[in-house]
Amino acid sequence: MPKDSAYRVNTEAIVNARRSVVTQESDLNLLESKIGGGQVEELILQASRELSLARKMLEWKPWEPLVEDAPKDQWKWPM
Amino acid sequence: MAVAAGRILSNHLLKNSLRNCVASGLPGLTKVCNQLKTINVHNSRCEQLRYETTTTVREAVPQANAQLEEYGKMCAEVLPKYIQRAEDHHNGQFLNLSDIAGIDIPAKTNRFEIVYNLLSLRYNARIRLRTYTDELSPIDSLCSVFIAANWYEREIWDMYGVYFSNHPDLRRILTDYGFEGHPQRKDFPLSGYVEMRYDEDVKRVVAEPLELAQEFRKFELGSEWEQFPAHRNREVKVRQVSPGESFKQVAKEGEDK
Amino acid sequence: MSSSQITTRISQQVVKPLISTSNAEAKRRVLKLYRAWYRQAPFVVLEYDIPIGEKEVRAKVREQFEKNKHVTDMRVIDMLVLKGQMELKETANIWKQKNHVMNYFKETEVKKTDDFLTNFYEGHHV
Repeated sequence: MPKDSAYRVNTEAIVNARRSVVTQESDLNLLESKIGGGQVEELILQASRELSLARKMLEWKPWEPLVEDAPKDQWKWPM
Repeated sequence: MAVAAGRILSNHLLKNSLRNCVASGLPGLTKVCNQLKTINVHNSRCEQLRYETTTTVREAVPQANAQLEEYGKMCAEVLPKYIQRAEDHHNGQFLNLSDIAGIDIPAKTNRFEIVYNLLSLRYNARIRLRTYTDELSPIDSLCSVFIAANWYEREIWDMYGVYFSNHPDLRRILTDYGFEGHPQRKDFPLSGYVEMRYDEDVKRVVAEPLELAQEFRKFELGSEWEQFPAHRNREVKVRQVSPGESFKQVAKEGEDK
Repeated sequence: MSSSQITTRISQQVVKPLISTSNAEAKRRVLKLYRAWYRQAPFVVLEYDIPIGEKEVRAKVREQFEKNKHVTDMRVIDMLVLKGQMELKETANIWKQKNHVMNYFKETEVKKTDDFLTNFYEGHHV
């Protein structure tokens, strides 16, 4: 995945922030309140989902530009 | 809540006193009447409480909206190729695909729009993603990401004829076997192309080209779809006809014009 | 919109292929589908218990294919093949019923004539 892809930048920031909190904090309740993403079990689920999403992202290659731009009046309403 | 509890209590009282009344004869009746009155008062108050008069549309929360907008911008930044995959991301948690809908606008080059409604239970937020296609361009199926997409995409295929590539089981879901065409397309006539009836001779249901009998033909001949929504508020001049005026006069005026 | 119109419109632009990437591939798919229908014919007769022989079923299949023989755009061909495959699946799995199969043969349809009185007696208006 290219270093400057927006997905990578954003996700790395979040994951690193969470990891630093996890390594520093040993009290689970405090940990939960610090991250603010629900209970620890949920946090684990979220992380595993992010991992699977990252793998899919590698396959989808979303950092490439649009294959074809939308026609001019595509989103115009009413016609 | 307190009122409701009071109502249950008084109903209970009423039952008891009715029972007393039956047991003891008439003297209890006045008591019951009094109680009935109070219960009526209670009831009416309950009704007032139950039927809300205010609108139930939730007020906009600017902060949440701003957050969602921020998220949308982030998605757009992340996914320039297709802004469709946002579901598992940490900040979104849009895990629930609540609906897929289709729109058909025949005047556009890409006449179909597919609308995905996603729900995030975690953050109590919904987003709507729209994409477009034409009759022959396939759209990637969402089934590998959301299992719920399976039947929705079959619906879209059946109603609009948009093909979803890599769908595990794409086939008709709403129309009858042997049905031709896609009924939600705007160029599909409301009456359909065939009519079905039971045939005595061949002992089965037969489908024949549509031929409406005379008594079913009294319908509006204008298009069933609004063709020019931009002209929706066009002023239509209507001439009031006074009661004394004869039909011939009005017709003649029309001719003169 | 007829398929030929679609062809002319999209022939000027680069398009996403439906399945096939070349005309030869599209043709192969059509032949494959035709073969599958051809082989299915005796089972259709047997399983649906219809008053029609293999030969007529095959002739009907051929007729249905030839109805679209003017189509040249491979995406339209692909779409038609896809629909044909779905039909075949519905038929082979007996999701259809007898009347759905028999509807192809249009036994009960009466040909319209120009003769007013004949149409009138038949109950056809206009």
